Amino acid sequence: MSAALSTHQLSKDYGDRPALFPLDLEVPKGQHVALVGHNGSGKTTLLRMAAGLLDNSGGEARIAGHLAGTQPARTALSWLSDTPTFYDDLSLWEHLEYIARLHGVADWADTAESLLSRLHLGDRRDDIPTTFSRGLRQKAAIAIAMVRPFEVMLVDEPFVGLDQAGKDTLLELLDEVAAGGATLLVATHELAFVHRVQRLLALRDGALVFDGAPATADVHSLVLPA
Amino acid sequence: MTEVAPAAAPESAYSALRHLRRTRQLHRLGNIEWFEAAYRVYLLAIFGGGSVLWISTSVKDGIAAPDTIADVAAHAPTVLGLVVCFALLSGLRGGAQGGPIALEAADVVHVMLSPVDRRRALLRPASQRVRGAMFSSATAGAIAGQLAGRRLPGSLLAWAAGGALFGATAALVWAGSALLAHTLRLPRWVATTAGITALAWQGVAVATDIPGPADRFGSLGLWGWRQHPADLVGVGLSLAAVVAGFLLLRRISLEALARRSALVAQLRFAVTMQDLRTVVLLRRQLNQEQARRHPWLRLRPARSHGFNSTVWRRGWHGLLRFPGTRVVRLAALAATIGVLHGATVRGTTPAMLGSALLCFVLGLEVMEPLSQEVDQPDYNDSYPVERGELMVRHLVAPLVALVPLSLVAAVAAVLTLGGSTRAIAPAAIMALPTLWGGVSGSIVSIVRDAPDPFSSTKQQAFIPPEMAGFSTALRLLLPLVISTLATCTVLLPRAALRNGDSLVGAALRGAVGSLLVIGAVCYWVKVRDRVRVKIRQFMDEGRSQTSAQRQQRSQA
Repeated sequence: MSAALSTHQLSKDYGDRPALFPLDLEVPKGQHVALVGHNGSGKTTLLRMAAGLLDNSGGEARIAGHLAGTQPARTALSWLSDTPTFYDDLSLWEHLEYIARLHGVADWADTAESLLSRLHLGDRRDDIPTTFSRGLRQKAAIAIAMVRPFEVMLVDEPFVGLDQAGKDTLLELLDEVAAGGATLLVATHELAFVHRVQRLLALRDGALVFDGAPATADVHSLVLPA
Repeated sequence: MTEVAPAAAPESAYSALRHLRRTRQLHRLGNIEWFEAAYRVYLLAIFGGGSVLWISTSVKDGIAAPDTIADVAAHAPTVLGLVVCFALLSGLRGGAQGGPIALEAADVVHVMLSPVDRRRALLRPASQRVRGAMFSSATAGAIAGQLAGRRLPGSLLAWAAGGALFGATAALVWAGSALLAHTLRLPRWVATTAGITALAWQGVAVATDIPGPADRFGSLGLWGWRQHPADLVGVGLSLAAVVAGFLLLRRISLEALARRSALVAQLRFAVTMQDLRTVVLLRRQLNQEQARRHPWLRLRPARSHGFNSTVWRRGWHGLLRFPGTRVVRLAALAATIGVLHGATVRGTTPAMLGSALLCFVLGLEVMEPLSQEVDQPDYNDSYPVERGELMVRHLVAPLVALVPLSLVAAVAAVLTLGGSTRAIAPAAIMALPTLWGGVSGSIVSIVRDAPDPFSSTKQQAFIPPEMAGFSTALRLLLPLVISTLATCTVLLPRAALRNGDSLVGAALRGAVGSLLVIGAVCYWVKVRDRVRVKIRQFMDEGRSQTSAQRQQRSQA
């Protein structure tokens, strides 16, 4: 059985500046993983390459056994960015419809309704999300990322801008995602979140410096720059 | 919501894509201010039509002399081939840098990451891009064709059609090469080398009798006069390149699409606002032109910590990080300005307008330290110095940086004038002052963009609509007019040459004229804020006096 996410010698550099050194990684299906590191450690670069949004400088990334960015990999993957992007002429509800249908979901409305209600966005469904505040935009992005089916979810800094209620709802949703059998890889600076996952990865200056159970790690020292 | 994904149902996804695109198109159509759109079309028709008529009047009617016609028949295909090679170079470089397609940022994330076939999803934006390029290029070709048709055998209609065919083919070359360079992921240096090789080869073909790689393409430009079926090979090749690019659309880089999406949206907005400075800046970002990590030279630690020295050093810190491509571009701009000045002296008066425009662009490039200061109002408002004093000091380093470029311009001007030794002294005298004067327009454009702490938006909102169009046109044209004023001094040596007067004397007078323009602009930069404050105070006093008088009258 292929891993949910695997990388082989995956690397990225911007000119003469390496952002990620060659990385070999395997995340089995259903695993719940946190990715930590200081600012500029390569977390977002790794996630964006796995999502197919960044070109690799070397090596390869695979999602559910398929090369990142290919059609089957995109079917299996949901990407929740730290900088949500929306169409400026579609309401939140129209976003949900569009994205669910693009992923071949016919009965999306109930799921969308439930997500909006849990994220307290029910009364904003007909509003344009580009006009939302930072926190509401993040909630809208969460709903959009979860309205469609997926096997693997890559999440970049999901807690930024969320109020406590939003954080709690997100944690619940992520727990449900994990309980449903999907694989989660969450890049975060919220060290409290780290103890909810099965595996912890830490990057420092583009290199993997820790891969193991969160209980065995001194998380605070792992997020310090070299 | 969290179940393991079933296989996506592609057809329903495509129908969603079609449906949403249609819906969004309707939204956009609904949002169009039709009156404003009609007004823009009207303006375009007036100015565009007027420009074509003006250019047309500059071309004499009547068939050219037989030897001129023979000359055109022999050399025009090779010269027009240069245009095609330039399109090829531009396309290859653009493609290697992520062009030519630009999607909305949301489309990059939501559509490109969905399981729809990327080729199918990208086919529409890609074909729109190709169509748009073909239309504008064919229009330009048709205008040029009908101008050529006034002097050469063949009907005007045939020449316009031939010009349009040539223009459309050049656009296909550009689009095809860009699509292939992108989808084949050509490294930038390979794309640049291939493009420059083709351009250089064609350049050699123009200068000698060897055949150039784009002669067949260039020959299409003469189809208004005579048709060679073999020329259609060029059309076929360029079409094949576009089709191959379309077939390879699945290989497009999302990283490039994401980078371009934000920049292209800003670029379109800047073009709409006629903000030339932002257009130049965004073009640089689109080409991924970044400051060098290591400067060309490292400045020694500062000995003086005074105001002048601090701003001077900041200027050079920025200038010494210009990337190589920008330095080459500056040199090329300076050389072209020199050539155009030479051409003006030789009698081609419109070349002076071209040189003014290029001086303006050169100024936008070289005045980077000033631009950076203007773009950081939070910083410069916090400095304990008057803004005008700060900005005028920011001019010094860029103006000094123009000295080597003036040498390039002088050499180019002398060569354009046939390398005559008589041209050396006037060129040496005028090169630097005309460059300094020429960049004055860009200084005005940059400084004027600085946020004005003394004006209120209320005041601007009271501009009557009848004046809005005029003030926009003035805003766009004023810097160019200033650059033209400073560069038109090259007409003095031309007049001296015609009248048999002293060339050096005329050059000295011209240099003084250009220096007066740059001097006036520098002074304006220095006192602009002070003058505005005084005007504002004057107006406020007037208003308070008027209201006091009214009060007195009403009480009486």
